Amino acid sequence: MGRLLLIYRLVAGDVRRRPVQSALLLVVIATTATTLALGLALRHVAQNPFARTRAATKGPDVVFEGQLRAGDHRTVTAGALWKVPGVAAVGGPFPLAFVRLTDPGIDVAVNAEGRTSAPAAINQPLVTAGQWVLRGGAVIEEGLAGALGLHVGDRIHLRGQSFRVAGIALQTEQAFYPASSSGLVWVTPGDAARLASRSDRLGYGVDVKLANPAATDAFFNSPAAMNALPGTVIGKSWQSIQKDDYRVVTIDQKAMLIGGWLLAMLAIASIAVVVGGRMTEQTRRVGLLKAVGATPRLVAVVLLAENLLLALAGAVVGLLGAWLLAPSLSDPGRGLLGTPPAPPLTLTSVAEVALAAMAVAMAATIVPAVRGARMSTIRALNDPARPPHRRPRLIAVSARLPVPLLLGVRLVARRTRRTVLASVSLAIAVTMVVAAITLQQEVDVREQGHNAIALTGLLNSNSVGGRATHVVWILGAVLVVLAGITVIFTTWATVIDAQRPTALARALGATPRQVSAGLTTAQLLAGVVAACIGIPAGLGLYQLAGGSVAKANPSIVLLIAVLPCTLVAVGLFTFLPARAGARRSVADALRSE
Amino acid sequence: MSAQALCKEYGKGAGLVRAVHGVTLEVELGESVAVVGPSGCGKSTLLYLLGGLERPTSGSVRLRDSSLERLPEAQLARLRRRDLGFVFQAFHLVDELTAVENVELPALLAGASPHAARVRARELLERVGLADRASHLPSGLSGGQQQRVAIARALANEPLVVFADEPTGNLDSAATTEVLRLFEELHANGQTLVVVTHDERIAATADRLISMRDGAFVDETKLTGGSSRRLSAMTGLEV
Repeated sequence: MGRLLLIYRLVAGDVRRRPVQSALLLVVIATTATTLALGLALRHVAQNPFARTRAATKGPDVVFEGQLRAGDHRTVTAGALWKVPGVAAVGGPFPLAFVRLTDPGIDVAVNAEGRTSAPAAINQPLVTAGQWVLRGGAVIEEGLAGALGLHVGDRIHLRGQSFRVAGIALQTEQAFYPASSSGLVWVTPGDAARLASRSDRLGYGVDVKLANPAATDAFFNSPAAMNALPGTVIGKSWQSIQKDDYRVVTIDQKAMLIGGWLLAMLAIASIAVVVGGRMTEQTRRVGLLKAVGATPRLVAVVLLAENLLLALAGAVVGLLGAWLLAPSLSDPGRGLLGTPPAPPLTLTSVAEVALAAMAVAMAATIVPAVRGARMSTIRALNDPARPPHRRPRLIAVSARLPVPLLLGVRLVARRTRRTVLASVSLAIAVTMVVAAITLQQEVDVREQGHNAIALTGLLNSNSVGGRATHVVWILGAVLVVLAGITVIFTTWATVIDAQRPTALARALGATPRQVSAGLTTAQLLAGVVAACIGIPAGLGLYQLAGGSVAKANPSIVLLIAVLPCTLVAVGLFTFLPARAGARRSVADALRSE
Repeated sequence: MSAQALCKEYGKGAGLVRAVHGVTLEVELGESVAVVGPSGCGKSTLLYLLGGLERPTSGSVRLRDSSLERLPEAQLARLRRRDLGFVFQAFHLVDELTAVENVELPALLAGASPHAARVRARELLERVGLADRASHLPSGLSGGQQQRVAIARALANEPLVVFADEPTGNLDSAATTEVLRLFEELHANGQTLVVVTHDERIAATADRLISMRDGAFVDETKLTGGSSRRLSAMTGLEV
C-alpha cells in the first residue's frame, strides 16, 4: 500500500511539474483513441442493417416503378402479377408523383408515393419519428431527412405546394438518400394525385413478394412478369437496392480504414516523440530516486505508470470525443435500421480502444524506462546528454548560410534521427491531405459532369462522393493536428537538448530572433522533406485505394501549394516553443554545468 | 567599462537572494581586473551582468557610450558579438564541432565570410599553440587544450573586453600554467581582461584585485604585476 502511495505521489508530482507536456501527450492519445473508436463504430454500420430494416418494414423482393405512355388512359392494376410463377404477394399499385422538393437552398428530386393510412402487407415503412401519412402531411425517408436536416413539424414544398413533415420513416423499396439519386416521401393518394401535372404525369409503384426471395433473377427472366404491368416499367431486386445502400458505407469504411492505418503510424511516431522527450528530461530524476534507495524495478514502474495513466486518461477523453462525433460519421448509414444517430459504441469497442492506447504508450515507454532504470546512479545524477552526431558536410555547407539557416542546419545535423521522425510524422499528414485534395477534385469533376444529384446551396457532403470526401477531410484534419503536436514536441525536445549550444550562440552574439529562427528552420527543413515525400505518396495512396488520379486530374498549382502551406503550418506550430527556447536565460544555461 | 550601484536579486519575500549588491566598478582600456572571493559570493553573477548575459535588478553597466541594461536583447547580442569575448569554466565548446570550427563560430555569427572566418580561426589556434589540433573534436582534447580553444574563440572578433569565469577551475596544475601564460600574453598585448577566479595565481597576474563577499566588494588592491614565470617558480611548477 505504501509503495502504491509512493508511486502515485511521484507520478502526480511529475504530471503537475510538467502540465503542458502532460496535456499534449493526453491530446495525442485522445485524438488517436477518438479516430480508432470512430473506425470501430463505423464497422458496426456494416453489420447487415439492410436485412434488419427489410424484416422490420416487410420489405419487397422486387419493386416496379412504371408510367403510362401519353394518351394511354388504362387503369393500372397489378392482378396479372399474381399469376406469375413464384409470386407470393403483391402490393399496390400506389400512385407516384415525380416532383422536386424545394425550399430556400434546397432543390432535390423526390418520388412522392401515395399511401393510405391502412398498413400494407408488403413494404410498410417503419415510422421512426412522428406519424404515418395524413392529408397535407408528408412522411420523409430517414436518409433524406438526415441529409436535409428535416424534422417532424417542419414545412416543405413539393412542386410549390406546402406540406408539413408528419413523420420520418425507414424503408427498403429503394436505396436510402443519398445512395439513391432521388429522395422518397409518402403522402396520401389524394395529395399524390394533386402533385401530378400535365407534363409530369402520375406514375405508379408495385411491390412483389416472392416465395423464394433469392429467386429474383428467375422472376425477371420470366416474360409473364415483365409484361404484367402496363406502360414503361423499371424493376429492381432487393439485392441491387442493398448494393446501392452499402456503396456509401463502403466508401466511408475504406477511407476510415486507410486513414486509420496512417493515424496509427502517426500516433506511434507522435507518442514515441512525446514519451521520448519526457524520458530524456527524467534522467536526473531517475538518479535522485536511485540515490535515495529506489530499486531499478520501482524506477521502471514509476516511469511506466505515469505514461500509462496518461494513456488511460487520453483513452477516456478520446472515447468521449468519439461518442460526440460518431453521429456525423455514422450518418451515411442513417437510412437503415441498426445505424441510429446515437454512436454504436459497445463495451468491447471501449475496451479495445483503451487497450490499444495503453499498448502504444507501453511500447513507446518500455525501452527508455528500462534503460533509465538500468543506468548507474552517478551517471543519471550527472544527466549526461546523448553525444550529438557530427555531419562534417552539413557543418561546412552551413558556414556559407545566413545565421538562422546556419543554426537550423547544425541543429538538424546534431540530431538527425529526431528530424527524420518529425519528417515522417509530417509526411503522413501531408499524404492524407493530398489524398483528400485528389478525392475532392474527382468528386467535383464527377458531379459537375453527370449532375447526378441536383443540389443547390447544400453542402457537398450530402452526395455519395461528398460523404467520403467529408470523412477523408476529417481524417486529414485529425492527422494535421497530431502532426502539429509532434512538431511542437520535437521543437521543444530540440530546445531542451540544444539549450547549451543555443545559449552559447547567444553569448557569442546571435540574437534571440536568429536563435528562434534557427530552431524553426530545423523544423522547416523537416517540413520540406515531408512535403516532397507526402505529395507523391498522397497521389500513390489515392491510386492504391482504388481512386483514379488521372480522372481526378488534381491541379498542379494546388499540389505545389501544399509545400508552402506545409511550411506555414510548421512555422505556426513551431513559433511558440522556438520563441520560448530563444528567450531562456543564457546565464542559467551556461551556469548549469 | 563601468558599473554603477549594480544589484541583482533572485526570488521574493523570505526567499529573496541578493547575489550582487551595490557594486560600483570602473575598468580602464587595457587593464586586467581579477575578482576573487569564496564560492557563492556573486563573482560569476557580476561577470554575467558586466557581459550583458544577465540583466541587473538595479544599477547600470556602461560600455563605451552604451548602457547595457537599457539595450534591447538584439542590440545587446550585437554588442556582445562585436565588443565582448567570454571564457567559461566548463569551456562550453560545441561538442560536434572541431577546434577550428569552434573558433570560427563567433566570426560566422558576425557575418564574416567562411574563408575569412577560417583564416582568422587558424591564426588564433596558432597563437594559442594548437595549430596541429585544429581538426580535433573537443572530446579528443585535454582540459587545458579545450580551454585554450575557448580563449581563441573569445578573441575571434577582436573584442574590447574578454571576460573569463573561473578559467582554470576545471584544470590541473600544468594546464593552469598554460592558461595563465596565455592570459599574461593577452594582457601584455593590451587586451582588457575581467577574470573571476578563486585561483590566487591567476589573480596575482592582474593589475587590480577585487575581493567580494556576500555580493559586495570588500577590498580592492592595486598590484604591481606578477608573471606566470615568477609565480610558477614560487609554486614549484615547470613552465
